[in-house]
Amino acid sequence: MQHFDTIIIGGGPAGLEAAARLSKFDKHVLIIEKDPALGGKLLLWDKLFPDFASSEELLHQLIENIKNDNVKVSLNTGIKEIENEGGLWNIIDNHNNKYSAKALLLATGFDVFDASRKEEYGYRIYPNVITSVDLEKILSGEVSHAEPKKVVFIQCVGSRDEKVGNHFCSKNCCICAVKQAIEVKEMYPNSEVYCFYMDLRMFGESYEELYRKAQQDYGITFIRGRVSEVSPTYHGQVQIKAEDTLLSRPIRLTADLVVLMVGMEASEGTVEIGKKLQIGGNYDYFKSKNQHLADNLTYLDGIFVAGTSKRQMSIPETMKDAAAAALEINNYLN
Amino acid sequence: MKIEIIEKLKEDVRYKEALTACMNCGVCTAICPAAEFYKYDPRTICNIVQSNNVDEIEDLLNSETIWYCGQCMSCKTRCPRGNVPGMLITVLRKISQEMGYFVNSEKGRQQLAIKRTVGENIINAGYCVHPDIVDPDLHPEQGPVWRWFINNIKEVSPKMGAVYHQETAGALRAISKDTLDEIKSIFKVTGGEEFYKKIEHFSSEKAKDFQSNADYDYMIKVYTTDSGDHTR
Repeated sequence: MQHFDTIIIGGGPAGLEAAARLSKFDKHVLIIEKDPALGGKLLLWDKLFPDFASSEELLHQLIENIKNDNVKVSLNTGIKEIENEGGLWNIIDNHNNKYSAKALLLATGFDVFDASRKEEYGYRIYPNVITSVDLEKILSGEVSHAEPKKVVFIQCVGSRDEKVGNHFCSKNCCICAVKQAIEVKEMYPNSEVYCFYMDLRMFGESYEELYRKAQQDYGITFIRGRVSEVSPTYHGQVQIKAEDTLLSRPIRLTADLVVLMVGMEASEGTVEIGKKLQIGGNYDYFKSKNQHLADNLTYLDGIFVAGTSKRQMSIPETMKDAAAAALEINNYLN
Repeated sequence: MKIEIIEKLKEDVRYKEALTACMNCGVCTAICPAAEFYKYDPRTICNIVQSNNVDEIEDLLNSETIWYCGQCMSCKTRCPRGNVPGMLITVLRKISQEMGYFVNSEKGRQQLAIKRTVGENIINAGYCVHPDIVDPDLHPEQGPVWRWFINNIKEVSPKMGAVYHQETAGALRAISKDTLDEIKSIFKVTGGEEFYKKIEHFSSEKAKDFQSNADYDYMIKVYTTDSGDHTR
């Protein structure tokens, strides 16, 4: 049995940032990560909104910050058991290693919505329908794609949708589509780019400005209306159907590439641990003790939560939340 | 009278089922087959009903637009808020029929023909649709073969496995008097009979505007009149 001050479950931005902060408080931390590499969902993105910062550089910096004697990392590691014994949290991992700590930080993050659940959009049915995550690989050059003449972005795929059980807004997709639309236009300057939305929620710093830039400088067309379906055309393109709700007019548009802006859902790990510890809340995200006053605490003594395992957050929000969690944990340990 | 519209709307259980809070995303119109051809927008209808503006709702009851819906309910399959614009339409139609607004639109006036065909078929024959009543004159869309089929129905039916007017099991069988009486009493108890009377009543009032008395010719006239101003 190895003992730590804090065990962090999840090695994404939240887990890494919290670990770095706690190590500065001279606390001994173990990060348990199920995947073979640190970074979580950061690994899926090439550039970040709204400033096109490199996710690779950010991840590099986050990992640099935990390179000290106070932080240990265990990759490829799943959680088998979590139990409280005399005020200590004992963990058994999938390799049957045993650890204990006074505090646990759950930073198990989100999963990307599985777009094939919205069958009407044809993901995994038509090859020219991809997700925002797939597009990142094209933008980074990892995957090649024939130059498209018309590109359509569809917002709210898996978000604000009773049909898939997700009433919530994933909140990052609006600005992400603006970022990606600009990148597509830079990659293929001759392409026409359309974005179908219900509401555009440009809540963050310089998001609205980027949206305006997309319209003014890049000529990207934003149409207010939710797309009802994507169907194939005879010539191997796809046709989308929507209503331009501002003009009260049904429209059809033929595109070479359709990008589904997939939303966020509680990750598999979040759901699992939430059930195990009975701290799951809405949509299986972790429920914090008090959203206003104790957002990193749970109803269980010594169990802390941070980042997108709790609700939809952007990366800067996640990092701030992780820093706040580290402060709470430090107070708790002292 | 106008305030009655809102009352009738809100007491209908289908209204409660059909509309909670529409966010005007337009996915219903985007999937709607009727909206592709007719000047019809289910989203706008939800929007108007949601506004509680009695004048605008009254305009809907008088309008052509509520009669364009084909009741396919595709809108139900897509709405991210669980609304059913198609069902909302059924409520608006019912109010329009009950309060007599339907005679003020070309498509609405055709309710008389539906009542006298499908509506009466149920009561008189026990069928909504039966070859005896699908008059080739009324249904040119069936093509010339239909008239030939009607003229030779006795000979053709057995070849198609039907038991035309026979008192046995199978398609096109005769419906017994007991069953028909039961259907009649269901219509009486549930208000269907009264509802049919209203369609006739408002139609015959309207027929006076056309110097007619809601006879067969009047019905054929409202059934076949097409201003050509319905499609996009």
